[in-house]
Amino acid sequence: MNKHIRTTLAGLLTSTMITGAALAAGTHPETGEALADDQTFTYRILDEHSSVDPQVVEDVSGAEIVRDLFEGLMNQDEDGNLVPGVATEFTTNDTKDVYTFTLRDDAKWSNGDPVTAGDFVFAWKRAVDPALSSPYAWFMELMSIENAAEIIAGDKPVDELGVTAIDDHTLEVKLSAPLPYFAQMTTHSTTFPAPQKVIEEFGDAWTKPENIVSNGAYVLTEHLPQERSVRERNEMYWDNDNTIVDKVVALVINDENVALTRYLAGELDRTEVPAGQFPRLQKEHPEEAISFPRLCNYYYTFNLSDGGPEAFKDPNVRQALSLAVDRKIITENIMAGGQPQAYTFAPEATAGFTVPEVEMASMSQQERDELAKELLAAAGYGPDNPLSFEMVYNTSEAHKKVAVALSQMWKQKLGVNAELANMEWKIFLEERGNQNFDLARGAWCGDYNEASTFLDLLQSDSGYNDGKYNNAKVDELLAQAKTSDDAAPLYTEVERIIAQETPVIPIYHYAGVYMMDSDVGNWPVNNVEQNWYSKNLYKIAE
Amino acid sequence: MLAYIVRRLLIAVPTILLLIVASFFLMHFAPGGPFTSERPLPPAVLANIEARYGLDQPLWKQLWDYLYNIVVHFDFGPSFKFKDRDVNDIIAQGFPISLTYGSLSFLVATSVGVSLGIAAAIKHNSWIDYFAVGLGIAAQALPNFIMGPILILTFTLWLGWLPGGGWNGGQWPYLIMPVIALATSYMGSIARITRSSMLEVLNSNFIRTARAKGLPTRTVIWRHALKPTLLPVVSYLGPVFVYVLTGSVFVDIYFSTGGLGQAYVGSALSRDYAVLLGVTILYGVLTVLVNLLTDLAYAWFDPKIRY
Repeated sequence: MNKHIRTTLAGLLTSTMITGAALAAGTHPETGEALADDQTFTYRILDEHSSVDPQVVEDVSGAEIVRDLFEGLMNQDEDGNLVPGVATEFTTNDTKDVYTFTLRDDAKWSNGDPVTAGDFVFAWKRAVDPALSSPYAWFMELMSIENAAEIIAGDKPVDELGVTAIDDHTLEVKLSAPLPYFAQMTTHSTTFPAPQKVIEEFGDAWTKPENIVSNGAYVLTEHLPQERSVRERNEMYWDNDNTIVDKVVALVINDENVALTRYLAGELDRTEVPAGQFPRLQKEHPEEAISFPRLCNYYYTFNLSDGGPEAFKDPNVRQALSLAVDRKIITENIMAGGQPQAYTFAPEATAGFTVPEVEMASMSQQERDELAKELLAAAGYGPDNPLSFEMVYNTSEAHKKVAVALSQMWKQKLGVNAELANMEWKIFLEERGNQNFDLARGAWCGDYNEASTFLDLLQSDSGYNDGKYNNAKVDELLAQAKTSDDAAPLYTEVERIIAQETPVIPIYHYAGVYMMDSDVGNWPVNNVEQNWYSKNLYKIAE
Repeated sequence: MLAYIVRRLLIAVPTILLLIVASFFLMHFAPGGPFTSERPLPPAVLANIEARYGLDQPLWKQLWDYLYNIVVHFDFGPSFKFKDRDVNDIIAQGFPISLTYGSLSFLVATSVGVSLGIAAAIKHNSWIDYFAVGLGIAAQALPNFIMGPILILTFTLWLGWLPGGGWNGGQWPYLIMPVIALATSYMGSIARITRSSMLEVLNSNFIRTARAKGLPTRTVIWRHALKPTLLPVVSYLGPVFVYVLTGSVFVDIYFSTGGLGQAYVGSALSRDYAVLLGVTILYGVLTVLVNLLTDLAYAWFDPKIRY
């Protein structure tokens, strides 16, 4: 290469860097840390994502990508607090059933078109449209948007959805019931805007990299199914000047041990730590092995339906089994990833939720075991009449270890015979959903950061209440919480009833357990929902 | 010969049809469906989705529509899991990958295996023989799900020579480990079969005659012994070829190749009916074709066989 061309190229490169990515290869404007030249963030995803269509996506890894490609009305910050997204502010009426969002006027799609209130109206109508049949249509119903339920059921036309574009920058939403946390729900991918023109032009193929138009900080540039998905800086994004990471690569690696090896070989910036390996990794890589609480619970549910075992209809039996579970052994010896022990159904990390004083939590394990024996004896079970039941879980090494530990604890302490049965995932869901079980594993991750996302599972008519727990008082409290300004005491009361009646055995709450390259800056460890945005991350120079 | 081929292909049609019908019903009788999920869908949403994909129709109607679309439009249906791709897309993307590293593995396994086996037989009871037999047995004991982690640990983590996975359009650094992982155990089996077959052939009368009339060893081996030696090898290679093209799920999982094996198993687990059926049909057709080719190859290797 001759000198002239070289100089020209160098000049071109420099000017591109100045105009395109002013912040890369400099220092971070707030922390002053030196930034790496290569601002690429590479992370592992377990499985190919279902879609990058905001109204269609239904899995966590797909939603992560969608959160980078599209921007909704509101975003979350590092701590999970609401911050403006496309909307700069919102107001609500006294009865909290009409919300009005003001949209920023500099928001653009990646093709340069302005993002308008009409794009949200189109997207939200699309989400409930029976013609699209989105698997997340229920989320719009959960948001209590006027007529959403009727439209999904096909009883009303799509146009009657309670959402209106007053003008290009004002969006009004009418709710069928007051909902204090409605704005929180607009951080969910189902509510993100969709580009009508592009969808009408390309149909289902609109999400392919060559067709897609998006309004987030990134655009999809490459997608090789089962292998990788690449997104790069969106020059049209309104806050592009403050975005630091240029490129985000998601690699599909099904096997978590292979992913860990590839992380250790330097191919990845982030991967999950397989169960039980955290203590070793933390010793070897103290800077990189991290663990923080997450908004998910792990529990076993009793079958309390009419067809369920007679023994479980006695609260003493249920409480005895819960008391005899030594949660410390499970969290410290089996999972070993910093998971908090669980004595309540909703995790302590849930926003605005006060964990009630549950009696069991303050007892020593020995005291719990003593009480468990008494309760079980009072219920009429003992060496002459041992309690026997079957416990089911879906096939997985980690679930098996937990189930074996539970059955051993019950056998040794209480003489209970718990027979283990594992099932393939879909069969497990079918059996559990049809109450064909005695005791079944369950886990739930919050759809939004509010205790009702967990506690609603124990509402008698909830479709997710597989144990068919039915308590009129709990139902009443949960119904009150929906419209109450301060629901925290109501949730605490619900947890207190659950602790007494023990329809479920909470085991532990999840932790995010990652290997994270120490040069990744600003990972939101305090965001319990793990709603992360690549635009807020940066790579530190080594 | 031609009549034979035509007859075989005609028999293949009802065979494949039977495969489709049996798979279709087995699949629908498996508990759970494509839209069974941890968050059960409200009945209205589920009804919308089922109507969209025609799952609300009676089974016979669904089967009929499915066959009709294949025959008339060559359309194998949508994927329930991946909304922006249909079965044709998934196969078009995954099969070339499986085909590439599968064929390469087949070539490596066959060429190395046959060479080892022949060398061992010719130098019977020498160190070459012991080495080849030892290597063959060791290789046979290393199926791809054992080889995968060993290779990644060695070449990616310790030596840092090769990328730990991905496909990148099939560039050679990405091909090496999948090919070795898949080829190793078949290579071992092929070496053993070749060796014992060659030993048997070398002891037969026609070889003694060839030697007795003064032919040089090389001619005896290449012109007279090789073809009959390969007969049992070929009967083993037929199914192996189908396996390396289809049974690559572990390789797909360990090396994130994006091949069809992973899509196949994934579709079974997520009850992605059309993908599962589509790949089953592809594998069925491949099996029928490869079996036919194997039978034709017999005729070439053994003059006693005539069709």
